[in-house]
Amino acid sequence: MTPLRVETPASKAPPSGTPSSGPRPGATARAPLASALAPRARGRVLRDHAARVVMWAAFALALAPLVWILWTVVSKGSHLLLESQWWTHSQRGITSRREGGGAVHAIQGTLIQGAATAAIAVPVAVLTAVYLVEYGRGKLARVVSFMVDILTGIPSIVAALFVYAIWVTTFGFQRVGFAVVLSLVLLMVPTVVRSTEEMLKLVPNELREASYALGVPKWKTIVKVVLPTAFSGIVTGVLLGLARVMGETAPLLILGPYTKSIATDLFAGYMPTLPTMINQDRNELAQSAAADRVWAAALTLILLVLLLNLAGRLVARFGSVKK
Amino acid sequence: MKAQRAGLLAGVAMIGSLALAACGSDDNTGSADGAPAGSSSPSSTCPTGTLNAEGSSAQKNAIEEAIASFQDTCSGATVNYNPTGSGAGIKQFLAGQVDFAGSDSALRTTPKDGAVEAQQAQQYCGSPAWNLPMVTGPIAISYNLKGVDKLVLTPEVIANIFNGKVTTWNDPSIAKVNAGVTLPSEPIKVFFRSDESGTTENFTKYLNAAAPKAWTAQPGKGWTGKGEGKEKSSGVAGAVKDTEGGITYAEWSYAKDNKLGIAQVDNGAGPVALSGESVGKAVAAAKQDGQGNDLRLKLDYATKEAGAYPVLLVTYEVVCSHGKDPAKTALTKAFLEHFASAQTQKSLEDIGYAPLPDEVRTKVAAAIAALT
Repeated sequence: MTPLRVETPASKAPPSGTPSSGPRPGATARAPLASALAPRARGRVLRDHAARVVMWAAFALALAPLVWILWTVVSKGSHLLLESQWWTHSQRGITSRREGGGAVHAIQGTLIQGAATAAIAVPVAVLTAVYLVEYGRGKLARVVSFMVDILTGIPSIVAALFVYAIWVTTFGFQRVGFAVVLSLVLLMVPTVVRSTEEMLKLVPNELREASYALGVPKWKTIVKVVLPTAFSGIVTGVLLGLARVMGETAPLLILGPYTKSIATDLFAGYMPTLPTMINQDRNELAQSAAADRVWAAALTLILLVLLLNLAGRLVARFGSVKK
Repeated sequence: MKAQRAGLLAGVAMIGSLALAACGSDDNTGSADGAPAGSSSPSSTCPTGTLNAEGSSAQKNAIEEAIASFQDTCSGATVNYNPTGSGAGIKQFLAGQVDFAGSDSALRTTPKDGAVEAQQAQQYCGSPAWNLPMVTGPIAISYNLKGVDKLVLTPEVIANIFNGKVTTWNDPSIAKVNAGVTLPSEPIKVFFRSDESGTTENFTKYLNAAAPKAWTAQPGKGWTGKGEGKEKSSGVAGAVKDTEGGITYAEWSYAKDNKLGIAQVDNGAGPVALSGESVGKAVAAAKQDGQGNDLRLKLDYATKEAGAYPVLLVTYEVVCSHGKDPAKTALTKAFLEHFASAQTQKSLEDIGYAPLPDEVRTKVAAAIAALT
């Protein structure tokens, strides 16, 4: 830390990051006034430093577990990911004591379920957001908005048990991939509605008015002007929502039993996913082969989610709403 | 428009990754475990299809081996086993979610909470459900105590440790049966299974039968003693591994894998160490309890036979005697036949299980053949 120089505080540039905490310029104009102000200024500088220390400490505290987790997962899981088998083979016939096999079955399952979830959730969510921003007035809109808020607060385990109660207990169906998709849809819709709503609100009203002035009907204005303008923001929201549901575990544990073989049918049989693959071998950590697979599967899942997040950021950067 | 192109790109990337992932292989018989692919040509009795089972985590390693070798022989068949615990397995079986359940105790024939499992199963199957003993798993009383390689415990001492009456390792009751062993004054830390478990049920049955005065609680899948709960066998075994002075009950394989100390048990005929042989003696002494092909066993936990290790569990496969779907039944039969074969049973010894004694095995094979 730099020593305190209370005599000429304004001659120095205020410390970066805390522009507003410096004394007012002009305090140095008259020496007597400056010395009169000195105790107060010293107090401010002290507070400034204290705040900065606390801020950095909080930052380090928040960062430490993240770095720790990443380092552990990468160091323990990366060597399996470098084997081509990991990306081309399933776990069929591999017991927790044996080495070998891959995660392609689980990666496929996670991607398929994610894609199916998006295919159902995105149209519903985007149309809901369009309604709320462009059409919704009065009681119905308030009720819809309130319901979306409630959905946002639903824990994933509740969504999973809700679908289990309907799918298995009421209708007597088997636990299949599609049941998982249904519960993931419940979790994805509210997040996408909220992000899409924000994006649509960002679209300047002048664009809509210009369109109306040319005699374009409202629906066409929304389809041709509003949605394209907000497109990149909507895509970002969708990808972030997708990244969130792909790492979801509770619905998978309840509705999507694990299988070690490749299974791509959403409507029949068990479907493996990365979280359930982790869960399967989690109980065998005394076996080094199983422990390695747990770390590698965790790293694969982190990478998948990271890729989706990156894609979301890229779309946001290259296609932000133009003013 | 730029924005749309970016979105399109994201879409293409997603579909591309899907397509990339769409080419994978289920064939791990090649380089994975050294066995040449197709070394065992599919026999003519190989059905195809998928079989789903769920239940006991005690037999997980055993059934995984059996599934791996079965799928090697019958590449058209897939067997899935989810080790969610005996209680969950039976619930899913009764709910029609799985083709058979693995359970560490036979279906209850006495009511609990107003329901009799055996009746519920008969109702679901439309025919009696059979309990087929398949895997014998000794329960190791595992401890972690530095410098103590050999520990002998009697049923009363075990019961008092697990119900919290004996709290330190140098308690006189332990010292009495361990003459010549220096026991530390460390407190005893008991770990138990927090999930519903057949291991807990068999362990408490043993305590109840062998030390009825010290252990008065009714045996059950949920733990009624003292201690700290951990999930699944790996949880309790891992906790003992990490805790000096810890003790728990877990399947033999978990105790071995975690390199825990395993106590010798003295039922009255001298201390007996845990081994395939000493467990086999206890299983052979068991009596058949069910009728016809329902092969529930009545284990004599209080046995005083010399050299018989009395703390063990038998995992049953619970099946409908008359299946609802003929294709599934054929697959179930083929898999269970393979599981009960002498060769498969023998291979289980390496991973901490005891093979079924021959007289029990032939009965199981006959029952499997009678499944329709």
